[in-house]
Amino acid sequence: MKSGLRLLLVDDNPADIGLAREALARCVRQSEIISLENGVEALSFLKRGGMYADAIRPDLVILDLSLPGCDGLTILRAIRGLPELRRMPVVMFSTSRLGRDIARCYESGANCYVSKPGSLNEFLAAVRSIEEFWCGFAALPPAID
Amino acid sequence: MSSSATQLAPKKQEEAKPKLAVLLVEDNQFDAELVLRALQQSGYDVSGTVVQDEATFLKALRANPPEIVLADYNLPDWTGMETLNVLLREGLDIPVILVSGALGDVTAVESIKRGITDYVLKDGLARLPQVVRRALREKYERGLRHLAEEDLAKKVDELARSNADLEQFANVASHDLQEPLRMVAAYTQLLAERYRGKLDEDADKFIGYASEGALRMQMLIQDLLAFSRVGRNATPNRSIDCNSVMVEVLQTLSTPIQESGALIKFDALPTVCANHTQIVQVFQNLIGNAIKFRGIDPPEISITSEKQDGQWLFTMRDNGIGIPKESLENVFVVFQRLHGRTEYPGNGIGLAICKKIIERYGGRVWVESQVGNGSAFKFTLPPEPADEFKREQP
Repeated sequence: MKSGLRLLLVDDNPADIGLAREALARCVRQSEIISLENGVEALSFLKRGGMYADAIRPDLVILDLSLPGCDGLTILRAIRGLPELRRMPVVMFSTSRLGRDIARCYESGANCYVSKPGSLNEFLAAVRSIEEFWCGFAALPPAID
Repeated sequence: MSSSATQLAPKKQEEAKPKLAVLLVEDNQFDAELVLRALQQSGYDVSGTVVQDEATFLKALRANPPEIVLADYNLPDWTGMETLNVLLREGLDIPVILVSGALGDVTAVESIKRGITDYVLKDGLARLPQVVRRALREKYERGLRHLAEEDLAKKVDELARSNADLEQFANVASHDLQEPLRMVAAYTQLLAERYRGKLDEDADKFIGYASEGALRMQMLIQDLLAFSRVGRNATPNRSIDCNSVMVEVLQTLSTPIQESGALIKFDALPTVCANHTQIVQVFQNLIGNAIKFRGIDPPEISITSEKQDGQWLFTMRDNGIGIPKESLENVFVVFQRLHGRTEYPGNGIGLAICKKIIERYGGRVWVESQVGNGSAFKFTLPPEPADEFKREQP
């Protein structure tokens, strides 16, 4: 089995994390998935703070917009503001289809914005495409450490 | 007879004379008395205050606001016209009548332009009561009109607010409902995928019902959102050529048109003033319906237009199954369906959206139909502003 990405999934909805895991499990490559449901926790994971001192650096972050603690946009901006994190690819993955939300994410340095589709098959396809693109086609930035 | 006359007389006296508080701006005491007497004789119970300058006028105005101001045009230290400015400053709507010894026509017209209600010459005081009565009546009517306008403005305001609330409610509700529903739909589908045939027959059926229900609800919410979006974030109106709208719609509906063998005819259609996407939606929903609710024969649909009362009247006639008389109005109500879901799929949103769009442009939509004899959907849309037939109108 081909090895996949180290993926950080941040989503406050465990059902959506479940669906994303389901989609990734159906991919050819097996990604290593870390999922977090809280914004503050996700930020401290990325910054390797507190209990996350030894946290891995994910290859890709899939980030929901609405999160408890601190929202996806804040996390995105924090990532782009930190030298050790700023090159990390971030895919925004949210139910919002509001132009304002989408614009803000791109303006804040998101690599891509994907709206969560309503139907199961489209949802699975969306996650699969993200995996296929970032793992199969995109050149990832070299690790800093 | 004489007894009835004596009865009448006291009764007449008992009848209270209408009270009239007058503020007189007059330097001639004799003239002032003449004026007051003229009013008394005409049946008013007059209480009058006589002043001659701005300071006393203002004082009297504040102490005891009169119903009417009678002002001499020429005063030694002041002029009757100045009373208008004082009333304006005090925010009082009290009619001012000029009572003057002589007043040229030009001056009279100029005075009325500036806000004097009327004028009476001192040698024509017999006319004064009538002028006063009219001034008071006009003020009363002005008051009524003002109240009615205020009331109307308040109602319009309330209506706008309640409409906005409703829109917002529909929007928020639909968005917030979508999230949990997405979970139900996704996981029942996942259940169906993974466990179909592995449980018993009942389980398959139950999961099927649950996931169908969730999918249908998702569609309903999408439709509700689409419905509530009509009227918001629409681009400004521009001239829309309905012929190009038809070309677009025929292309979009090409599959159902081919499958049903539909024949669609349309005249040279006019240009209307509206939002392109919305007009496409109206035509598409109506033609789509005409194909969907077809009879045994292939659909024959004709679209015609004519000028009527400054609007374009469109008629879309089909040879479909028709609509029962009692449902002719219901078909435009949100989520109203006349047929079973298995007979004709759909949520009953199409015509409701058409109606909402058309009414947004001040138009009207209705249907004439008989079961088995096809339907004729009629709707009106405003012409483009420079439309020549508008110029033809008298």
